[in-house]
Amino acid sequence: MSTISLHRYQHVSNTWDEMYISDNHLREQYHKIIGYLEQESASDLNKKEELAKRLFMSQGITFTVYDSGEGIEKIFPFDIIPRIITGTEWSFIEKGIKQRLKALNLFLKDVYHNQFIIKDQVIPASLIYSCPHFLREMHQLNVPYDIYIHIAGIDLIRDYDGTFYVLEDNLRTPSGVSYMLENREITKRLFPDLLPQCKVRSVTEYPAILYKNLLALSPRAVANPTIVLLSPGLYNSAYYEHTTLARLMGVELVEGRDLVVRDQRVYMKTTTGLQQVDVIYKRVDDEFIDPLVFNPKSILGVAGLMSAYRKGNVAIINAIGNGVADDKAVYSYVPDMIRYYLNEEPLLKNVPTYSLGNPEHKEYVFQNMHKMVIKKTNGSGGYGMLMGHAASEADIENYKIEILKDPRNFIAQPTISLSTAPCYMDGMLQPRRVDLRPYALVGPDGISIVPGGLTRVALKEGSLVVNSSQGGGSKDTWVLAS
Amino acid sequence: MLSRVASSLYWLSRYVERSDGILRMLKINYASSQDTIQEFTWTPVIQISSGGGEAETSVVKNDSRSVVEYLLFNRDNPNSIINMITLARENARSVQEHIAKDLWQCLNEYYHTVKDPKLLWYVQKDDPVTALDILIKQVMLYYGTAGSLMERGEIRSFMSIGKYLERSIQSIDILDIKFISISNNPDLLTDTSYWQHLLLSLGGYELYLKSYRKGFEAENVLELVMLNNDFPRSAKYAVNNIQRYFERLKSDKNIDHYNQLSFNIGRLNSTITYSSVKSMKAEGLHNYLVKIRSELYGIGNLLNEYYFANA
Repeated sequence: MSTISLHRYQHVSNTWDEMYISDNHLREQYHKIIGYLEQESASDLNKKEELAKRLFMSQGITFTVYDSGEGIEKIFPFDIIPRIITGTEWSFIEKGIKQRLKALNLFLKDVYHNQFIIKDQVIPASLIYSCPHFLREMHQLNVPYDIYIHIAGIDLIRDYDGTFYVLEDNLRTPSGVSYMLENREITKRLFPDLLPQCKVRSVTEYPAILYKNLLALSPRAVANPTIVLLSPGLYNSAYYEHTTLARLMGVELVEGRDLVVRDQRVYMKTTTGLQQVDVIYKRVDDEFIDPLVFNPKSILGVAGLMSAYRKGNVAIINAIGNGVADDKAVYSYVPDMIRYYLNEEPLLKNVPTYSLGNPEHKEYVFQNMHKMVIKKTNGSGGYGMLMGHAASEADIENYKIEILKDPRNFIAQPTISLSTAPCYMDGMLQPRRVDLRPYALVGPDGISIVPGGLTRVALKEGSLVVNSSQGGGSKDTWVLAS
Repeated sequence: MLSRVASSLYWLSRYVERSDGILRMLKINYASSQDTIQEFTWTPVIQISSGGGEAETSVVKNDSRSVVEYLLFNRDNPNSIINMITLARENARSVQEHIAKDLWQCLNEYYHTVKDPKLLWYVQKDDPVTALDILIKQVMLYYGTAGSLMERGEIRSFMSIGKYLERSIQSIDILDIKFISISNNPDLLTDTSYWQHLLLSLGGYELYLKSYRKGFEAENVLELVMLNNDFPRSAKYAVNNIQRYFERLKSDKNIDHYNQLSFNIGRLNSTITYSSVKSMKAEGLHNYLVKIRSELYGIGNLLNEYYFANA
C-alpha cells in the first residue's frame, strides 16, 4: 500500500499557499484532513475521485458542449481536497463583503435617482453614461425596499502575503451556487464523519434564505405570492443550476414563453389559465429581458415586462440595470463609494485598476503590458482577456489595436499571483491557483452570507484563469466554526 | 401548473412508454427469429416500431442483429430507443424540479446506459438479448420509481394520460398490423406461434392461457387486446385509465375545455365498452381500429390545444 506523499509538494515561490506555510509545515486548519488523508492509500483516493465523477454524472450535474452535432456531456472537474477557511478569515471576509454591498446598493439607488455621487464629482459622469449597462429605463424607477442587489457573488483572490482582494463584484446573475451545494453533498460521501470532526459550518441554508427574501418582496399582499425563476431554458449552460434552485425553493421554473404581460401585470400560462406572477428571480441577462425595451430580437424575455416592473406590479431579482455597478471601470471607484456613502475605510482591498479610457493610465499600461492583465469592462467568463505575462509580442500588439478602437471598454490590473491550494492529481498533491466566490443574499432583514462559497481552481499547471469555460474546476469550500 | 411543464411531463411519459413497448416486442421477436426454420420476417416489427416504409426495411435487410441495432441505436430512425430516451430525458430535464429527483436520475441513467458502447457490443458481437434485458430493466426501474415516489396530483395525471394514450395506440397498431398480415396470408390464422408471439410481445400470453382454454384463436386474441379490462395493455384498460386520470384535472377555471375533452374521452370509452368481437368484424376490423386510433389522436390534439397552450 502506497500512501500519498505529502513531501513532494512543489511550493510555488512568492505565492500564498492555502495549506502549507513551508514544506512539511501545515496551517492548523488543515491538520485534521491531512491526518485523514495520510491514512488513505493512493488507490483509496483514486476510488474517491471515481466516486465523485460517478455521482456528478448520474445526477446529471453536467454541462453540454455542442461541437460535433450531438452534445457531449461533461462534468465540471471537481477536486476532492477541500479548501479550508478559518473562522477568523471568514468573519473578516463577511464584514468586508457586507460593507461593500451596502455601498454598492446605495450607489445603484443614487445613480438611478438623484446622482449625488456624480454631482459631488466622486465619479465622473462620462464613466457612468458611457457604461453600456447603465440603463436609462431604470431612471426614477423605485424598487421594493430600495434593494437592487439581492444576490451577489463577489470574487476574492489572495496575493502572495495572503491579503484578500476583490477581483470582481458579480451583481447581475452570479452563477455557481449550485456547485457550492453539490460539492458539499459529494464531500459528505467522500469523507464520512470528517465534516463534523473538523467543525465545518453548513451551507444548506442558502435556498431557504433566498426563498424568504423572495417572498418578502412580493408587491401583492397575498398569502401565497407566485414566485418564479426565469431561465433562458434548457440550452443555457447554467440550466442545471436553475432547476436545482427552483427545486430547492419549490418555486416555478419558467421560460420567457411561459409568461405574458397584460395590463402591466405579469402572468404565467398554466393548464388552468393565466396566473399572476409576483416575484421573478431573473437568470436572463438584462438586455434580453424585454424585447419592447431592450434587444428587440430577444425571444428569451417577456414583452412588456419593464412596464409591469416600472408600475411596481412585479419584483425582479436582481434589479435590472445592476451592470453599471459591476462594470470593471466603475469597479475602481468602489473604495471611493464606501468612503462617500458610508464614511468608512474599505475593509476588502481592490486590485489596483487602470482604466484605459484615461490617457495617462493608458500610457502607463502600454509600457507595462507584460505585467498586466487586461480585460473588457463588460466581459465575463474569462473571455477576451489578455494575460500579459504569458502573451507573445504579436498578441500584445494585436490587443493594443483592439484597445485603441474603444479604450473605455478596457481596464488593466497588475498580475496578481493568486494563492495556491493543494489538489489531488496523478496520485499526489499539487499546487493549483484558486479564487473564492462567497454568495451574499440581501433581503429586507439585512445581508446574510452563507459560510462557504465556490472555490474555483485553475487546473492547468501555472494557469491563473479559474473560469469553468476556460478549463477551471472547483473544490468544496469549508468555513470552520470559530 | 405551467402549460409547458404539463406538455413535457406528458411527452416524457409517452416516450418512455413507447420505448418499453418497442423493447418488449424486440425481445420476443428476436427470440422467435432464433427459433424458426423458415426465414424470419422482421418487416411487421419494423413497421410497428419505426413507422418506416420500404426504405427502412431494406436498409436493415433481414439480419436480426442489424434490425436490433437499427431499432435501438439508429439516430435516423425517429423511434429508435436512443432517440426516444434522448427526448424523454430532454423533457424530463426541462421539468426536473417537478419530478422526483430519483426519477430524473433514473432517466439519466437509462440514457447513459443506451449510450454505453458495451451495449452495442452485445448487439453486434455477443448476445443481443442481454442488451435488451439491460434496457428493459431500466424501464422497469423508471416505472417502479415513478410508482413509489411521484406525488399523486396534476403531475402524475398528465404523466399517466401520456402513458396510457401511448400504450393504447401501440396495442392498436400491433393488432392492426398483425391482422393485416393475416388477410395477406391466411395460413397464419392457424399458426400457433404467430399468436404466441403477438401475445408475448404485449405481455398477455399468460393471461390468455388462463382466460381461454381452447388454444389460440384470432377472435380471442382480439377480445383480450381490445376489451379485457384485466389486461394492462388492452385498449379498454388504457382508455379507462385515461378517463380516470383526466377526471382528476377537473377545475372550475377551465370548465368548458374540461367538459369538451371529457366528452370525447367518455365517448371513446363507450365505443370500446359497447363493442364486441362480432361488431368489430361486422364493421371491418381495420376500419374499427382506424376509428379508435383517430379518436385517440383527437384526444391528444385537444390536450395540446386546451392544456399545453399550443393552440
